[in-house]
Order: sequence, then structure tokens, then C-alpha cells
Amino acid sequence: MATHAAFMPGVGSAEAQTGLWSWITTVDHKRIGILYGTSAFIFFLIGGIEALIMRLQLAVPDNTLVGAQRFNELFTMHGTTMVFLAIMPLSAAFFNYMVPLMIGARDVAFPRLNSLSYWIFLAGALFLHASFLVGAVPDAGWFGYANLTSPQFAPGHHIDFWMLGLQILGIASMLAGFNFIVTIINMRAPGMTLMRMPVFIWMTLVVQFLVVLAFPAITVALILLMFDRFFGTMFYVPAGGGDPLLWQHLFWIFGHPEVYILILPAMGIVSEVLPTFARKPLFGAPVVIYSGIMIGFFGFGVWSHHMFSVGLGPVADSAFSIATMLIAVPTGVKILNWIGTLWGGTVRFTAALYFSLGFIAMFTMGGLSGVMHAAPPVDLQQTDTYFVVAHFHYVLFGGSIFGLFSGMYYWWPKMFGRMLDERLGHVHFWLMLIGFNLTFFPMHYLGLIGMPRRIYTYAPDLGWNFWNLVATIGSFVIALSIAVFIANVWKTHRSGAVAGPDPWDGRTLEWAIPSPPPVYNFAAIPTVHGRDELWLQKHGDGHGGAPSPRPPVPRAEDIAAIHMPPPSYWPIVLAIAMTVMLAGLLISYTQVVVGGLATLYCMYRFAMEYHRPAAEAHS
Amino acid sequence: MSGPAAGGHGAVAVAPHDPNIGTTGLDNRKLGMWIFLGSDCMFFGALIGTYLAYKGKSLSGPGPHDVFNIPLTSLSAAVLLASSLFMVLALHDIQRNDIKHGARWLLATALFGLWFVGNQVYEFAEFVIYYDLKLWTSLFGSSFFVLTGFHGAHVTGGVIWLLLLWRLAKRGLLDARDATKVEIAGLYWHFVDIVWIAIFTVIYLIP
Amino acid sequence: MADSHAPAPTSHRAGHAEPAATGHATVRTYWIVAAVLALITAIELAALYVPGLPNVVLVVGLLLLSAAKFVLVVGVFMHLKYDSPIFRTMFVGPLLIAIGIILALMALFSAFILLPRQVL
Repeated sequence: MATHAAFMPGVGSAEAQTGLWSWITTVDHKRIGILYGTSAFIFFLIGGIEALIMRLQLAVPDNTLVGAQRFNELFTMHGTTMVFLAIMPLSAAFFNYMVPLMIGARDVAFPRLNSLSYWIFLAGALFLHASFLVGAVPDAGWFGYANLTSPQFAPGHHIDFWMLGLQILGIASMLAGFNFIVTIINMRAPGMTLMRMPVFIWMTLVVQFLVVLAFPAITVALILLMFDRFFGTMFYVPAGGGDPLLWQHLFWIFGHPEVYILILPAMGIVSEVLPTFARKPLFGAPVVIYSGIMIGFFGFGVWSHHMFSVGLGPVADSAFSIATMLIAVPTGVKILNWIGTLWGGTVRFTAALYFSLGFIAMFTMGGLSGVMHAAPPVDLQQTDTYFVVAHFHYVLFGGSIFGLFSGMYYWWPKMFGRMLDERLGHVHFWLMLIGFNLTFFPMHYLGLIGMPRRIYTYAPDLGWNFWNLVATIGSFVIALSIAVFIANVWKTHRSGAVAGPDPWDGRTLEWAIPSPPPVYNFAAIPTVHGRDELWLQKHGDGHGGAPSPRPPVPRAEDIAAIHMPPPSYWPIVLAIAMTVMLAGLLISYTQVVVGGLATLYCMYRFAMEYHRPAAEAHS
Repeated sequence: MSGPAAGGHGAVAVAPHDPNIGTTGLDNRKLGMWIFLGSDCMFFGALIGTYLAYKGKSLSGPGPHDVFNIPLTSLSAAVLLASSLFMVLALHDIQRNDIKHGARWLLATALFGLWFVGNQVYEFAEFVIYYDLKLWTSLFGSSFFVLTGFHGAHVTGGVIWLLLLWRLAKRGLLDARDATKVEIAGLYWHFVDIVWIAIFTVIYLIP
Repeated sequence: MADSHAPAPTSHRAGHAEPAATGHATVRTYWIVAAVLALITAIELAALYVPGLPNVVLVVGLLLLSAAKFVLVVGVFMHLKYDSPIFRTMFVGPLLIAIGIILALMALFSAFILLPRQVL
């Protein structure tokens, strides 16, 4: 390992920083990952409480726990929170923590930009939730269809909070997207060709491409909405010649890739967990990778299947229907590959594996109901009913959330150095699986017998009473399972078993270094010989091939020579300036101008922070 | 799974000296800029798509070919193309460490960018004052002003960027070691130019 | 003239990927390309004033000419022609998706001027 020369000047290397300020100014991908994970879990709880209130309201007919307006606010914030503030940032927590470790890098390509992404995300999330403080909670549903959001039908600031909040969150996601694409393409350890990248890394790469290509569409959609609301244009107003359908198109051009942004990280996690606990390489790994790419690519060509009920005409309906059915093929391929991985393996039934198995089963059911409404005539029966609610909870909760919990049980020892309790983990899994199916399976039936989504109450004589009550009971079983998880985290924090570097006999590079990893991750950058590099080092390829050479044991002076980027406060300052500017649109244009100038100044300082010293590293 | 023998080309563990150069030999910042430009293609794609979807669907007000001043816009297009030439010349000089000429070309690029923005301000004022075409007059007004306005904002951002680089060069804080920084500013600048090539043809020229 | 290599910063290339192997544009190339771009712009402008030119020819011609300008700027000024294929993938892929989405939006809103309305 030659000179990994002065990364940047300032704080040297190995000693860990402590205290609040060190977290605010951190540029360490592992700390930023923990920040993402913690914030996202808190928002997951908030979104969950919103869901519980809705389920309580719907438990019995003619209930009066909350009124219609409050109910609108609850389902809008529940959807927005779960999509943008829970699942996406929980995935981002794993991207941040695991991507550099799994590709054998010391950090992401742009550490300060990474920190900036997090602070902008947090600012956007807090901005969105500030709507609760001023009593103007967004109330037009998480996809905010036009006309529900027009100034005529949505006076007040409800929609403004949603529109500007999503805009801020979009900036955060796109910045992170650029960062991770560059990191994955350009920061891989020597020898890690694209086809040797772990499947989780591949899925991350596909997701980041979806982020940077899909978010511009919603950015434009929100900009047009902003002009409609603030500056009197008529983009979505039929009275001025505008077409509300344009919103639907632009939103779903973003929204459908977004669905894959939510599910592909979980697919990547499952593709790491199954081989580890079956002690077999992922069955047909290249095919799993190609399928992921295909899903991402097709994801841009199916958006109008969310819009069959608006009457696009037979040609458009057929085209989007066929594309949607096609996308089921690579998805099915993946499911077969995961099952093939388990087949004949030496399976260890850990909590992480249980959650992955839960993912496969629940996601398959969600996929099947998805293929059902790929057919426009069927979709017309199901659209806007509880059947659709059941479908997307099977893919996003049964899929994404189960996958993410699998990742938590799998990587917790790596991130915190202690093992989550397996017994509590099993209790958590079974409670969540039972509660989940109690809650959402009856919704298929409720939808088919005609219960529309987004109604705040219903009459007692419609035959919906029993299954609604069952769903409400189920939702509290889910809540109980989450409580068990929190207890597990608490117990692990107090007295969990120490994990050691490689508790699962892992396959990929993150298990080659201590748990939790040192600031610099790898004392010596490894050289990679295959997809399951660590497994090859430990056990060879299983066909008589010799194990890969192990990296040399690093010397103390090598470690002392590692320079990591120093902390910086410009990311958080820039994020605040940007939020002040955008929040000014609700307060005063003076604030917009002042915030805008502050943003420009902070960007300049951010860009110039290491201008000279970094360049002098050459000489 | 390929055996361990396939150590291949990557086996030589040479750490690059420049922390910005990754294992592919490419510069992180340049790669990041290209990905940003790909993303920006989608941004302008959505805006152009909106304009075209609404073309000819205004309920009232003047239409595109009542108001467009094609000779003026052609001049703007030529000004922006010329600025692109100045930009590559600036980069070329700075790569050769000829900072004096490089700075001059950077300034020329920025000034031509300003010229373009000035033309656009004039054009917008003409539409508003002589044709009474305002942002909220019609779908055409809305989609035209938003699309070209966001392009103009991109140009303005580029001008600020170039002026800051020029100032650094004048203060002796920019030399051949910073060529990549000039290069990515150039990539952004040329991208703004090609967006205008598309807008010029699709919005202004095609009847 | 002036085909000198950039000094130190870009010369440290690790291992296999030495992208700019096919040579580099010269200052002369830049001026020629700029002249061609100016010429194409002039032709585009002039084409508008040709009496009796069929609409289809005009539209297709304008699109082809502007595509040529686009390719020249991206290829030469942005060095994509000489640079790593990774950059090309990063840019051309999204560009194609963006064009596809513009065309799809036009089709969905029946906005193809060359096709009869309500083709869908």
C-alpha cells in the first residue's frame, strides 16, 4: 500500500471524535448512515402512529374519532412520510454505511456532499412537519392530484408545505444520487470489476440512476404547481386551458421509478442475506443483476398504468399494460433465483433470514395483485379501492420494510459491534408477519366488495365492519412487533453479545474489518478476486480452487499515514440557508432574496473550502 | 463464480496520488458533472415536453409566431455558440498553464453569457410590453416563460460560476492544477448551450 | 500547434483506463467546429424564409441540423468523442430516456404536428 497521500489537510486520522458538534460536522459515511437511520426510524414511528389513528377511526362504522379533514391530513402525511421520510432514508442509511465498506473504499466520493444530502433531507423533513405547528397540514394525498391542489380548491398553506417540502427532499435525494453513482463507479477496490460487485451494490447503483433520472420529473411538476399557486399560471387549471392530467403524467413519470427506488434496495439486501445464511453463492447472480437493470429501465416506460381510469385510449392503455406485464418477468426471475439460492443450502434460520423469507413471500403476493391490475379492465374495478391499498402495502411493507428489517438484523453487528437478540428477533418477525397479514389481507376483500380508499368513515350496513375491525387489530399487532424491536435494540445496547468482525461467516468485504469499523474502514485497501471476496479468502471457491490471498497485515505506520477528510460545518449551514430561501416563499420575498444570497455565499465557501490545499497535494 | 486466478488488470494495488482520481482513472468531479448533466437532460426534457404538449392549446392571447423575434433569437443562439468556443479556448490555455490568456477567455465567455441573458431580458420585456403576453396570460405564455426562464437561470448561474473562476485566476489562485475545475464548469456551460440548440429549433424555428 | 498535453493533474491514471487514447482536439479544430456551427445556424435561419418549402421537409431538416449542432458541441467542445466511454454512457443514456419521454408526452397529448391529430 503506497502513499494514499494527503486526502485533505486538517484533522489527521484514526482517533474517533465525540460530542454533538462532531456529529453535526461529520463527513464520515458511517456516521451519516447512522444519522439517516435514526432520523428515518423516528419518522417511521410518526408515520406508523398516523396509520394507527386512521385504523382506530375505521375500526367501527360511523366513528367520530377524527373528522374528514383530519383524516385527509393523516393519510396524506402517512403516505408522504413513509415514502420519503422512512423507506427512502432507511435505504439511504444502508447505502451510506455499507457501500464504501462493500466496495473496499475509505469513504464516498464526495464526503461533504454526503453530509449536505443528509442535512437537506432533515431540513425538508422538518419543514414538512412544521405544517403541524401552523395547522396547515397537507391534505391532498401523497400524489397530490391536480385540482385538489389548485389555489381554487386548496386555499391556505396546506399544499404549499407539501410542495416545497418535497422539492427540498428531492434536492437531497439527487445530490446523494450523484454521489453514490460516482462512488460505485469510481471508488471500487482494485480488481472489483462490475460483475464482481456484490448484488446489494448493483441494486444501489440502479436505484441511484432511478433517483437522478426520475426526480427531475417531479421537480418540474412541482415547479409548475408552484407557478400555479404563487404566480397565477394555469398549467393544471382547466379554466385556463390547462390539463390536470399533465400533473398525473409528470408525477407518475417520477412515481413509478420511485416504486423501484423503494423496493430495489430491499431486493439487494435479500440478495446478500440469503447467500450468507444458506452458505451458498447467490443462484444465478448475473441474472439477478441483469433483472435489476431491466426493472430499472422498464420502470420509465410504465407510468401510465397508474392512470388507466382516466381514459387514455386503447393504444396507450395497451402499450402501458404490456410494458407493465413485461416488468413482472425480471421480478419473477429474481424470486426464482432467491429460492434457488436456498435450495440445497446449509440454511441457518436467523432473524435476518426470517425477514428475508418474509420479504419473498409477501412481495410475491404483492407482485401477483400488481399483475392483476396491469390489465386495464381489471384495474378499472380495483382502482381507488382498498384492493390497491392492500397491493401496495404488500410490496412496500411486506416487501421494502421486511427487507430493511432483514438488513438491520444482518448488519447491526457490523454497525454497532453487538448482536441483536435472536430470540426477540424471532418474536418481532412472527408478530410482524401475523399483524401485517391481519391488517392488509382483508383489505383485498374489502376493496373487491367496494370499499373505496381514503374515506374517513362508512355506514354500518355495507358489510365492511368485521374485516375493518380485523385490520385495526392487526395494525396494533404490528405496533407491538415494533415495540419488541425497540426493546431488542435497548437490550442489545445494554448487554448485547459482542459481535466480532465476522459473526455470520460473511461473504463480502465489510466482514473483513472490525465491528464497528475504524474511521478509515480498511487499513490496507483490499484487492478483489471475486464477488464473494471474503468467502474466497476464507474457503476458496468450493470447487477445489485455492483461497484468494489475504491482504497483508497492516503496519502501524501505514495506519498512521491514512488521512481522512476533516469535519466541515458548511454542509449544515448551506442546508439551512437553502431551506430559509424556500421557506421564504411562504413568508416574505425579502426572505427569499436574503436566503438566496446566503445560499450562493455558502455554496461558494463550500466549494472553496479546500481549493488551494487540495490542489497543493499534487506538488 | 470465476476462480481466484482472474486477478486481472486491477491486481496492481497502486493508490492514485490525486484523491479525486478513482480506480477507473477518471476524475470523480468530472464523472459527477456528467451524471448531473444526464439528470438535467431529464429536467429540460420534462419542461420541453410540457411546452410541446400544450403547444397550440392556449385559449387566448398571442401565439408563438405572433411574438417571436427570430433574428434576435438567432443572434442569441450565435452568441451562446461563440461563448462555447471561448470556453474551450479558456480551458485549453489553462491546461497549458497560460493563465493570462485563459482568464481572458473565461471573461469573454462570461460576458457573452451576459449578452445572451441581456437579449433574453429584452425579449421578455418586448413580449410583456408590446404583445401583452405575460406569464399568466395563456398556456403559451406560462410554458414559454417557465421553460426559457429556467434556461436563462441556468445561464445566469453559469455566468456567476465563470466570473468566480475568472476572479480566482486574476488573484493567482487558479493554474493548470485546477484545470479540472475549469473543465467541469465548461461541461456545464456547453450543456447550457446544447439545451439552447434544442430550444431554438424545437420552440422557435419549427412552425 | 498547441497540441501540448495537460500537465501533472491528469497524468496520474491508474492502471488500465487511459481514456483519451484517440488523441485530442486542437485549437484549429475548435475554430473549425465553431465556424460550422455558425454556418448551420445561418442555414436554419435562412430555411425559414424559403418560399414554398414543404412543412415536412422544413421540420425534418431543422431537426437534423440541430442534431448535428448538438453532436458537434457534445463531441468536440465537451470532448465526449475523445473521452472515456463511461462519460458517454452517463450522458447518452439519460438523454435517450428524456427524448423518449418527450415523444411519449407528445403522443399522449396528441401534439405531433406531422401526424394527424387523434392518432391515438
